[in-house]
Amino acid sequence: MSAGGQGACSEVVRLDGHVVDSLLLAKVLDAIVDAGATYEILELEMGTTVLDESHVRMRVSAPDEAALDGLLADVQVHGVNREDGSDAELVEAPTDGVLPADFYSTTNLATWVRVDGRWIPSGRPEMDCALVVDPVSSSGASAVRVVPMHRVCAGERVVVGWRGVRVETPARADDAEGFGFMTSEVSSEKPKAVSLTRVAASIREARDRRARGTGGGQVLAVCGPAVVHTGAAPALARLVRDGWVQVLFAGNGFATHDIESNVLGTSLGVSLGEGVLSEHGHANHLRVINEVRRFGSIASAVEAGWLRGGVLYECVRAGVPFVLGGSVRDDGPLPDVISDTVAAGDAMRALLDDVDVAMMLATTLHAIATGNLLPAGVETYCVDINQAVVTKLADRGSHQALGIVTDVGLFMGDLADRLCGAELGHG
Amino acid sequence: MTALGWGRRFLLCRPVHFTVAYEINPYMHVQVHPDPDLALAQHEALVANLRAAGAEVEFLEPVPGLPDLVFTANAGVVDAGVFVPSRFRHPERQGETVHDTAWFSARGFRVSPLPGDEPFEGAGDVLPFDAEPGAARGPVLVAGYRTRSAVGAQTSLGSMLRVPVRTVELTDERFYHVDLVFCPLDERRALVAPQGLDRYGCRVLSELVPEPVWLTDDEATSFCANSVVVGDVIVMPGCTPRLGRILEDAGLSVVVSPVGEFLKAGGGCRCLTLALDVDLSSAGRRGGAPVGGSVDESLVHELP
Repeated sequence: MSAGGQGACSEVVRLDGHVVDSLLLAKVLDAIVDAGATYEILELEMGTTVLDESHVRMRVSAPDEAALDGLLADVQVHGVNREDGSDAELVEAPTDGVLPADFYSTTNLATWVRVDGRWIPSGRPEMDCALVVDPVSSSGASAVRVVPMHRVCAGERVVVGWRGVRVETPARADDAEGFGFMTSEVSSEKPKAVSLTRVAASIREARDRRARGTGGGQVLAVCGPAVVHTGAAPALARLVRDGWVQVLFAGNGFATHDIESNVLGTSLGVSLGEGVLSEHGHANHLRVINEVRRFGSIASAVEAGWLRGGVLYECVRAGVPFVLGGSVRDDGPLPDVISDTVAAGDAMRALLDDVDVAMMLATTLHAIATGNLLPAGVETYCVDINQAVVTKLADRGSHQALGIVTDVGLFMGDLADRLCGAELGHG
Repeated sequence: MTALGWGRRFLLCRPVHFTVAYEINPYMHVQVHPDPDLALAQHEALVANLRAAGAEVEFLEPVPGLPDLVFTANAGVVDAGVFVPSRFRHPERQGETVHDTAWFSARGFRVSPLPGDEPFEGAGDVLPFDAEPGAARGPVLVAGYRTRSAVGAQTSLGSMLRVPVRTVELTDERFYHVDLVFCPLDERRALVAPQGLDRYGCRVLSELVPEPVWLTDDEATSFCANSVVVGDVIVMPGCTPRLGRILEDAGLSVVVSPVGEFLKAGGGCRCLTLALDVDLSSAGRRGGAPVGGSVDESLVHELP
């Protein structure tokens, strides 16, 4: 599970009756606090005469599922009932790739589904998907999968409506230092050194989690073409070479310019060293694509010794998997580009299980596409000169993103110096 | 002292088939059998004491195989012409309900079971505490929950009878019904055994009862709260000199009616009686003063 799994478990409960005069409400609130849990009163309707009942609706949050279950069992005797005490309603998918009409649409938060009276955690959260409940396995429990619409199979049991589903909210920013990034912060005024320190610390912590070998701890880099234009690519290549990046997502543009700059020294025909347009430079990227197509893949171009540097070169050398998602605007494209966008999305999903830090580098479309796939608990840093990119990501529900409004070239250079320099004596 | 507005007419059941055949409270031990003859004699004495105090007594027919039918307090709750039957927590006692219900139906009571399926053990866990004439509030039901009755059932009862409920948690299994920790004496006083309550319950009762009489450990564990008040007489399973003085100072005559054979099954004088003349509506209260001014009479007994 991602880092978001450490967030609080919560449940909405009701308490009805003469609960004020009987001090039941006071007793229940005391019991919640005594158990180390917290409450948030969502509705309090006080009876206006001695005969009227009072009605309380509140959210109870505990550090984990077991603590929440234990507490709710304890206070149930005082009349506290889960608002949603029913199992999830399941309807079979009518055909492959089609969900029942009233399907539950997921969030990017850790999700639990109640089946046969038991709350079962879903697999890796992803927004805008459906919940499929698999039949009871040999271990005796049902399993719940988060499934995108196109992947559902006819006859699979899909959760419909909202009953019997609950989500786990990540801990608030002030709950623990480690979760301080989980707010939708965008600021062009924040000192860059502070942001840099946070990103570097996050990546180091991920490495420590990875070293424990219990899953998680992978760092994802999502790259736009501007990473190459701004001169950030060599720094990113260092990070890949030194083992700070485990997964990379990009498109045809980034990959092409990364290769072009290493083979021809230009990016979109502009000399990266002198900043002037090379003669016939406008066709440089097409010639590069054509050559890689001749090799059959980027890896083959590396093996053949034609491509001898750059981010993708380091990925191939270090065995870092990358997904190049295609678009209708692509030239070529490079043979590695997956031009079926649904297949590209699935290829990206397949690499996300252990990712818990994501860097979105100067990219709008790939950042949003990736943000849609990530669970809320993934620490996400969005580095872009344009504040609107981070805002867009947050607006789409990726609330965990920290925006760093700066030139990605300068930022990545500093980050590589922090991580690679400190560790290995570079720069 | 103003006497209670109820407690002049009781339902009892002669202990013809009474024994300890199972163990559903800390007092019951199947090896310790009550003496049938002594139990009958103690029961007859109790009936005589109630009658001497001015109460009418009616009888429920004993049924073989239902030894606890003698504890009529647990049959249900009576409010004027309505009988709300219990839903016993233990299967051993669930067979009693059909006989209780038949008795009340045959006498013209409207039988109104509680909604839902939560356990609820009648007047054993629900006792009315009346208001002083002219007080801002009307009668209140003091209800014990956890060991035998569920708080949700008591909330439903309050809604059904349109009476405020003060639910108190029974935190000690020795005091498994509220009639072991609470006994209304009049409109200002009640016996209260804090040993069976938590701090919230104690506070609720100290705010409700203007002059609570707190029982000592000995008084609480010897079932002093399980007493029956008939006007200015209190019929008790036992009493200490300290408590006797307090009760007499309050204007009550203390009559001790030993029920030792029934204590072997965990029941005292109150458990052996069910008041038939409880009327929680304002009109039915002695003096007839409207309470709170907001009760629509037509709704008082309208049931869901």
